[in-house]
Amino acid sequence: MGEFLTKLRKDKIGIVGLIGVLLILVIGILAPVISPHDPTHTFNEHRLESPSSKFIFGTDDLGRDIFSRIIYGARVSLTVGLISVGIGAGFGLLFGLLAGYFKGWVDNVIMRIMDVLFAFPDLLLALAVVAILGPNLTNTMIAIGIVFIPVFTRLVRSTVITVKEMDYVSNAMSVGASNLRIIAKHITPNILAPFLVQVTLALSSAILTEAALSFLGLGIQPPDPSWGSMLNTSRRFMELAPWTAIFPTIFIVVTIFSFNLLGDSLRDLLDPRVKKE
Amino acid sequence: MYKYVIRRVFYTIPVIFGISIVVFVIMNVIPGDITSIILGTEGTPELREQLRENLGLNLPLYQQYWNWISGVVVGDFGESLRTGAPILPEILSRFGLTLELTLLASLIAWVIGIPFGIIAAIYRNTKTDIGLRIVSLFGVSVPNFALATIIILVLSLGFNYFPPVGYTSLFEDPLMNLERLFIPALILGVSMAGSIMRMTRSSSLEVLEQDYVRTARAKGIKEKVVIFRHAFRNALIPVLTMIGMQIGFLLGGTVIVEQIFSLPGLGQYILTGIMQRDLPVVQGSILFVAVIFVTINLLVDILYAYLNPRISYD
Amino acid sequence: MKKRWLTLIAMLFMLSIFVVACSNGDDENGNGNENETDNNNGETEETEGSSDDVEQILKVAADQDPSGLDPHTSTASSSHRIMGKIYEGLITLDENMEFAPRLAADWDIVDETTYVFQLRDDVVFHNGREMTADDVKYSFERILDPETGAIGSSNLSLIEEINVLGDYEVEIKLSQPFAPFLSYLASGANYAIVPKEVVEEHGDLNQNPVGTGPFVFSEMVPDTHVILTKNEDYYLDGQPYLDELHYLTMVDESSRIAAIRTGEVDLTTVTPDSVSLLEGNDELNIISYDDLEYYYLGFNATHEALSDKRVRQAISLAVDREEIIDLVMAGEAKLSGPIPESLGNWSIDVSNHELYQPDIDRAQELLEEAGFGSGFEMQMGVPSTEAALVSAAQLIQQHLELIGIDAEIVQLEWGEYIDAWNSNTYDSLVGKNGPGRDPDRSLNFFFSTTGSANVWEYSNPEFDEIVAEGLVEVDEEKRHEIYTRAQELIIEESPNLFLLMPKSYIVVRGNVDGYNPLPHDSENFRETTIK
Repeated sequence: MGEFLTKLRKDKIGIVGLIGVLLILVIGILAPVISPHDPTHTFNEHRLESPSSKFIFGTDDLGRDIFSRIIYGARVSLTVGLISVGIGAGFGLLFGLLAGYFKGWVDNVIMRIMDVLFAFPDLLLALAVVAILGPNLTNTMIAIGIVFIPVFTRLVRSTVITVKEMDYVSNAMSVGASNLRIIAKHITPNILAPFLVQVTLALSSAILTEAALSFLGLGIQPPDPSWGSMLNTSRRFMELAPWTAIFPTIFIVVTIFSFNLLGDSLRDLLDPRVKKE
Repeated sequence: MYKYVIRRVFYTIPVIFGISIVVFVIMNVIPGDITSIILGTEGTPELREQLRENLGLNLPLYQQYWNWISGVVVGDFGESLRTGAPILPEILSRFGLTLELTLLASLIAWVIGIPFGIIAAIYRNTKTDIGLRIVSLFGVSVPNFALATIIILVLSLGFNYFPPVGYTSLFEDPLMNLERLFIPALILGVSMAGSIMRMTRSSSLEVLEQDYVRTARAKGIKEKVVIFRHAFRNALIPVLTMIGMQIGFLLGGTVIVEQIFSLPGLGQYILTGIMQRDLPVVQGSILFVAVIFVTINLLVDILYAYLNPRISYD
Repeated sequence: MKKRWLTLIAMLFMLSIFVVACSNGDDENGNGNENETDNNNGETEETEGSSDDVEQILKVAADQDPSGLDPHTSTASSSHRIMGKIYEGLITLDENMEFAPRLAADWDIVDETTYVFQLRDDVVFHNGREMTADDVKYSFERILDPETGAIGSSNLSLIEEINVLGDYEVEIKLSQPFAPFLSYLASGANYAIVPKEVVEEHGDLNQNPVGTGPFVFSEMVPDTHVILTKNEDYYLDGQPYLDELHYLTMVDESSRIAAIRTGEVDLTTVTPDSVSLLEGNDELNIISYDDLEYYYLGFNATHEALSDKRVRQAISLAVDREEIIDLVMAGEAKLSGPIPESLGNWSIDVSNHELYQPDIDRAQELLEEAGFGSGFEMQMGVPSTEAALVSAAQLIQQHLELIGIDAEIVQLEWGEYIDAWNSNTYDSLVGKNGPGRDPDRSLNFFFSTTGSANVWEYSNPEFDEIVAEGLVEVDEEKRHEIYTRAQELIIEESPNLFLLMPKSYIVVRGNVDGYNPLPHDSENFRETTIK
């Protein structure tokens, strides 16, 4: 662990990513403290006002403070990202390990089910799930999570298969090590790297999928601010009041950017083969 | 090997059957009903009942499923409940567009993503690597509807340009067709290129560290040869899986771009179908996409097996 | 290794060729049609020697793809804007909302239940056959046949007999007096006259529309365009002036705006917010007109609190309609009652009504009287596809908070919204309604106990009596008085809050001439030309 931190400190890209992620997290957690206004309060006299000292990011079409909405939106977007990826990655890891390790009928049943899920275009699958369950925060996260399950399952499974073929794992198996031990000791560390890369990709894709659902009118419910729905509403005003679109875009880009930077460098740091150097 | 291929092909049958059931069930449990959509606020209960009868929605579900699937098997996808237009010709013509858009976008993504990924891996942790990674990440990070809106604004205000309205087939007027699709494909390609590049970079890195590559290096084989003969080929394996996924993603992910640029693609067809609860349209097109997707993945899996001799086929 | 790669690439290539080849077959068909169209144009120019060299093609950006084009069963506005060019009814409305001749040159009201129509003798369907009285009889019988599932069936249900008196003369007998009868006949494609042989050949007219209107259906490519061409045999001299009318489906507003700026399209509707973007543009004209619809907040009459008139009145006093107009409609909308101003002189002035003046204290008092002084919770459904309605709902949510009512917004997809509307599953809905062309439609239809659109389960015997009176009263002036009373009662009772009457904006390129939209006929292109 100590070695890991030392390495991380040396990796400038990783540090930048980590700082970005932490910053967004802090903003989300401290939202009530940081935001100058109630994110849902409409200032009647200040419709579509450009940035000023009172509203540093300007106001939206209903006269709400964009800065406060972005701050609160960080909460929503992060929650959506973390929980939906949690759902997808958790189930994906479980199914992928089972399928890849035991193979045979377990593999067949799991992978056929995943094939069915996977064959649906993902945005449309999420859309259908939200349409069935009804649009709100929880159901949006469930829908996006479901979309991720087959992605993670396939990834974990294919890595497990590759790792299992490696000499030292085959050796461990032939020596008679228990299944659990092999999974814990040999396989899990090996799949960590691609898994983490996929998690960071999924985190950003979750935030983007939420935005896309908002674009199609089935995202987070108003007046709760999510970056996706803010961006979608602001498309209508992009020319008239560019600040309504610019700031949510910047925050989405920066967040996803940070997650990806962090993921990239984690990948390098956690890779057991790289460590050997 | 042939046994493996045959078995994989055989597996797709329950999958496709499963998909047909899942899509049928989904469309039947979604709240909202086509008769409401068609009649809007004008509908009286009697009219709705009559319409349900006319559309065959009063039959028991298993019978509706049977009627649908038995038609599909012989190539009869039925007619849209909303417009009365036959579905299969519509799916095929729209799939042509979506496929073209997808391939164009993928081409753009591969041309950018794979070489840059390899370069980044070779020059790991240098300025080149960092620069490439940062640029590629921007592509991934911008929601494509935001990017599309910005591009439309810039082109129409700055250059008084808007891509020609209406779709022209590639065979009719190739130039017009490419002009129409270029910007949408670019938007999709750019966001996809980032993922491809990252995946190529990580798997190349992994492979460059593998024993056999080191051995090759140690044997004094030229660096270029090492990279292209040994590393590149193996690095492509995870990238292939990724590409399979990406094409699937694009088949559905083109929806937004199709909507913004008014392209009559398959995604748009399915989306309208879902919104309008046009059951046979959604069922037919999702099944179609799913079959294509399963086929692509089958090919990828088989290719995977070809390329990775370490996998045992049993 | 190389060989395997090649095989794979070849396979993929063949697959794509196969698919493209399949899809290309359709395109060729489409092409065939286009070519025919072009030929027609050539002939037109030769025979009439058009006054200038400009192509007489009007390109309209449509925000939605049409559903089917069978006039008797289609309700979608995207279908109606196209059907309105292809089909015609017996009579129509002029710019003053007065009845005017169309396929019927003249008509007599023989007595309260007998109408005789004299048809024009120079009308032919687009398939070349002459239109006669038999077609009128067939069309109305088709509407009345329950198996057709026609939208207009309930409005014509009082028809007892249809008698063909001659080739160009039809008599319609009603079983009892029905004042709105002519209004319905004048209300567009749902009551159109259609040719029997085409219906019988194809089962319906959805994909094969044939009518008598100024434009002829040429082709429809879903999510792409609908092309209509000039009806060369149209009975009104010289009309239409345009050779072709193209409806290009463009779902996204930013695309429509870009396309009208660059001249890819000649005409598009825009939202009030986009108007300011286009105002300074010399090449564009912006035309606005009052919409024939209103925004409402409707209450579930079975809800514990909302069934109380005082609670509804309190909400009416809490909701600041002017603020909604300012913030959501950029100030460009008018207050409305159950009959918006756009329906002509049927509507009453509501701007000074007590319940339209925001008064939080009074609202609080009313709530306390009703026993809900500490407020309550309610859901508020709103269609997610309508950005302005979603914004309005958010403002209403804020207004209601002031009197302790906690409204939870639920965005509904269009289909779910209609379902919610039909089944009264939400405590309240924010939406928009069209008042039709007759006050009976605006009031009886939505609020009488048995009204087919009274989805709120609202019931008021006094109101029922008034609108029943209006239904059989044929005297204009007395009807007027009746419906004024009905409107006052509905505003007082507030089963729905009427929020505002929006404005519609149409942007046209400067070269489009002779086009004046009316609330009930926003796309009259009969005399439109391209300069």
